[in-house]
Amino acid sequence: MPLVTIDGRQIEVEQGTSVIQAADRLGVEIPRFCYHPDLRPEGNCRMCLVEVDGYARPVVACATPVADGMVVHSPHESATASQAVNGVLEFLLVNHPLDCPICDQAGECSLQDFYMHPDYGLHESHVDPAEKVHKHKRVDLGPRIVLDAERCVMCSRCVRFSAEVSGYAEVQFVRRGNRVELVTFEDRALEDPYAGNLADVCPVGALTSRDFRFKRRVWHLESTDAICAGCSTGCNVRIDHFKGKIERVVPRRNPSVNRSWICDEGRLSHEKAQGQDRLLHPRGADGGELSWSEAIARADALLRGGRAGVPGRALLLGSASATNESLLLLRRFGELAFTQRTMDFRLGNEPELVDAREDHLLRRRDKHPNTMGAIHLGFAAQEGGLPLHVRAAEHDAYAALLLVYHPPLVGDESPEAAGALERLIRAVPASVVLTSHRLPFLEAATLLLPVAAWAEEEGTYTNYQGAVQFTGQALRAPGAARSAVAILADLLERVTLRRPDTSPKTLFVELAQAVPAYQGLSFATLSSRSAIAYPPEGRMHYGQEGFAGR
Amino acid sequence: MPAILTRHTDDPEQTELDVAQRRGAYDGLREALSRSPDEVIAEVEASGLRGRGGAGFPTGRKWSFIRPVPGQPVYLLCNADESEPGTFKDHYLLRRDPHLVLEGIAIAAYAIRAHTAYIYMRGEYASLAEIMAKAIREAQGAGILGESCLGSGYDLRVSIQLGAGAYICGEETGLIQSLEGKRAYPRVRPPFPAVHGFLDSPTVINNVETLANLPFIMTEGAARFAALGTDRSPGTKLISISGAVARPGVYEVEMGYPLLELLRHEAGGVRLGRRLKAVIPGGTSVPVLTAEEAAPVMIDYESMQAAGTLLGSGGTIVFDEGTSMPEALLRIAEFYAHESCGECTPCREGTGWMAWVLRRLVQGEGRPGDLDLLLRVGHNIEGRTICGLGDASVQPVRSFIQKFREEFEALLPREALAAPAWQMHGHGPRTGRFGPPGEEAALSDPVEGPPNAAL
Repeated sequence: MPLVTIDGRQIEVEQGTSVIQAADRLGVEIPRFCYHPDLRPEGNCRMCLVEVDGYARPVVACATPVADGMVVHSPHESATASQAVNGVLEFLLVNHPLDCPICDQAGECSLQDFYMHPDYGLHESHVDPAEKVHKHKRVDLGPRIVLDAERCVMCSRCVRFSAEVSGYAEVQFVRRGNRVELVTFEDRALEDPYAGNLADVCPVGALTSRDFRFKRRVWHLESTDAICAGCSTGCNVRIDHFKGKIERVVPRRNPSVNRSWICDEGRLSHEKAQGQDRLLHPRGADGGELSWSEAIARADALLRGGRAGVPGRALLLGSASATNESLLLLRRFGELAFTQRTMDFRLGNEPELVDAREDHLLRRRDKHPNTMGAIHLGFAAQEGGLPLHVRAAEHDAYAALLLVYHPPLVGDESPEAAGALERLIRAVPASVVLTSHRLPFLEAATLLLPVAAWAEEEGTYTNYQGAVQFTGQALRAPGAARSAVAILADLLERVTLRRPDTSPKTLFVELAQAVPAYQGLSFATLSSRSAIAYPPEGRMHYGQEGFAGR
Repeated sequence: MPAILTRHTDDPEQTELDVAQRRGAYDGLREALSRSPDEVIAEVEASGLRGRGGAGFPTGRKWSFIRPVPGQPVYLLCNADESEPGTFKDHYLLRRDPHLVLEGIAIAAYAIRAHTAYIYMRGEYASLAEIMAKAIREAQGAGILGESCLGSGYDLRVSIQLGAGAYICGEETGLIQSLEGKRAYPRVRPPFPAVHGFLDSPTVINNVETLANLPFIMTEGAARFAALGTDRSPGTKLISISGAVARPGVYEVEMGYPLLELLRHEAGGVRLGRRLKAVIPGGTSVPVLTAEEAAPVMIDYESMQAAGTLLGSGGTIVFDEGTSMPEALLRIAEFYAHESCGECTPCREGTGWMAWVLRRLVQGEGRPGDLDLLLRVGHNIEGRTICGLGDASVQPVRSFIQKFREEFEALLPREALAAPAWQMHGHGPRTGRFGPPGEEAALSDPVEGPPNAAL
């Protein structure tokens, strides 16, 4: 393997690695606009010029493959490279409108950051603002994206994303020289269901996301790493929030799950999670609000009839949108509280859909983040499914129902599932429902307990590949809503008379013990940046290796 | 003067196949087809023929880079996108002897084992495309091209593709992109077209004039070709001469012919009896020569290089004493600013910036330091771009300013020679803009200019 030296530091890399990739691995910062790790290199911005010993001219690090013994000097240590990079930067600013004070990208703009860099920026301007080339501003590219052509650096990341990744190939450059502008084909609105990524790949303020424009200065935002709950793919995202409100969701790079992308549905799903129809307080069948201590006592009484144990069978219906940790506690509660119990989570055919693609890129047909986790935890160990349980309940098979419910973040609950849930709740004499939202088909429950929604609770989801990924808590749950883990711990305490340790670490250790497939996973690897704990492709799919708890 | 390319171009009938064939058209192809492709390559290498598109790269060697991959076609592309300002030599050949060009295409295609050749012709040459298309039809009808060329068993299909009027399509990777139906953004090399060219296949791109030399080399032999011209620049060169001369036009001269001899003799001297001021010898992308510098220069690659310029395409532009060099340079700079494809940053922004500064200079609104600014912008373009257009745009700017600096300085307003720029134009260094008015002046030395002038 070629051994390359960059700024005096050596690294051995695979044949075909570019200089910029080697530098990234070494942590040597090379400025760039057009290079993107998940797009084909094009070498057009010329910002990544480096000096290479034995080469007459500076070369672009993104399109130059390393050779054994190559000695590279970045602009941090080479005056030649620094001068070259500064020349490119100056060119990029010649016709730039310098409107940072009103630009949404300010604070996370490559042009801004590079200009402020003492090693190759901070030059004096030699251009009169009155002389700049003018282009189209505030161009509407559809419902997601707004273009300011004057801010564009023509790096073509968006063009390549559109052509190579989403395949819609809807944006392209027209005209020549310093009049080049980005356009959509025939000025049509973008139809790409991944169009939001265009704003993410744009290194400057040319493409901005309509759902975030002028909402908040980026330096005011707090960020939380999370996993999108819109489907079973489990895209890694970063939630940017301010004072308890999500301002935007952007992708986090994970080469083995979502690379650098997310779909627009996932990106905007937080709007639904934060919708108005939240259940804010525990509520009894009479509609009266309850305190949590009253609610837990009533739930315990309803489910177990005090300490005597229910005479009949209990149905514990988990959710493929719940975290592994809450499902673990639900399972334990079921095991300890009931002699006769049925556990399930299937509202439809999630296990069959968990792996089914909705498109060529990321979206999957199963709109739950944790179907795999529910399967691993044994919630589909028996023949079941909602229609079967409804029939059983209508024949008085179940004395009590404990249901955890989260509405899907992408799309609506199927009318069949909603109808079946309503029938189930009406058929079972005692029904305790943990739900984040107020929904008509849950209204008949004997007891409604408000539970934290996505981004309000931390824990892990297992995606369709079997990757266990940690999702963080960005927001506090509204009203009196609490995390499912906390509610279930309260219920467990009623059974065991001992408060279970619900720290994420303890729960994860218990999870790793409870699920054979998760053995060897540690919380430390889980909370590492990649958040990938268990990514073996093709393993632990439904119907293959045995399910825990069977 | 010996002629290879223009032997029959005076006869308008030469475009007809039977007329051309009576004069030996396609004899060279017949000769080539009787040998192996490698023998043809060896013959061309021995002739010393160098690419006539501008770079002067040895043609035989360019062909030898082709390594056919089983199952993958090889393509020959004839570059007829002649767009370099001052260059119209290919136009002359295409109009007057299309079969000569076509024969050259067939020889080259056979040598590199291509069965498909495209003639990429600039859109403005639409009328020539008709002539060429007729020639192709005739040659196909006569069994010269198409299936089993001249009964040899070698198949060759030749097609014409018209460009849409962009200079960048003459750049070989830009041409490939355009031919593929894409925006003509040049490609980063490596990989080179010989490995990944048209449709990702091994590809050779040769200029029209280069190809038109091949029939002679095949019929007369490499030695007779090499005997013409100079040692390292064998053969002849088509020179298209324009500007301040009495008889502008296309002339074929033996390599090594004195530049001024061509100007005085063939082109009839500087028109209106004026004095020669400067010559651009190889299209606007090469450095200009003053009259003095041009005097000893011969028309061949080495002599041009020794004089600090390039033979380039042979597009010779003559300036007389009445020419304003700044105005001429502005016209050239505007061409490059207009034709920069806009793909890579230095050329996209730099060519426009140079044209802008030159424009204000010519309009009498120049600023102190503008000439150094132009040179600095050129420095930041040169060697930093994907293709040669960036470098090409810099050569005229640098050479014009270096060689005719007084003319440029004379255009600067008198006060501009003394006052710092921001005092005249109300914008200045970042440090001064945040301070109270009046402090700005203190930051600069009115004689030395802005503190950042050296940047």
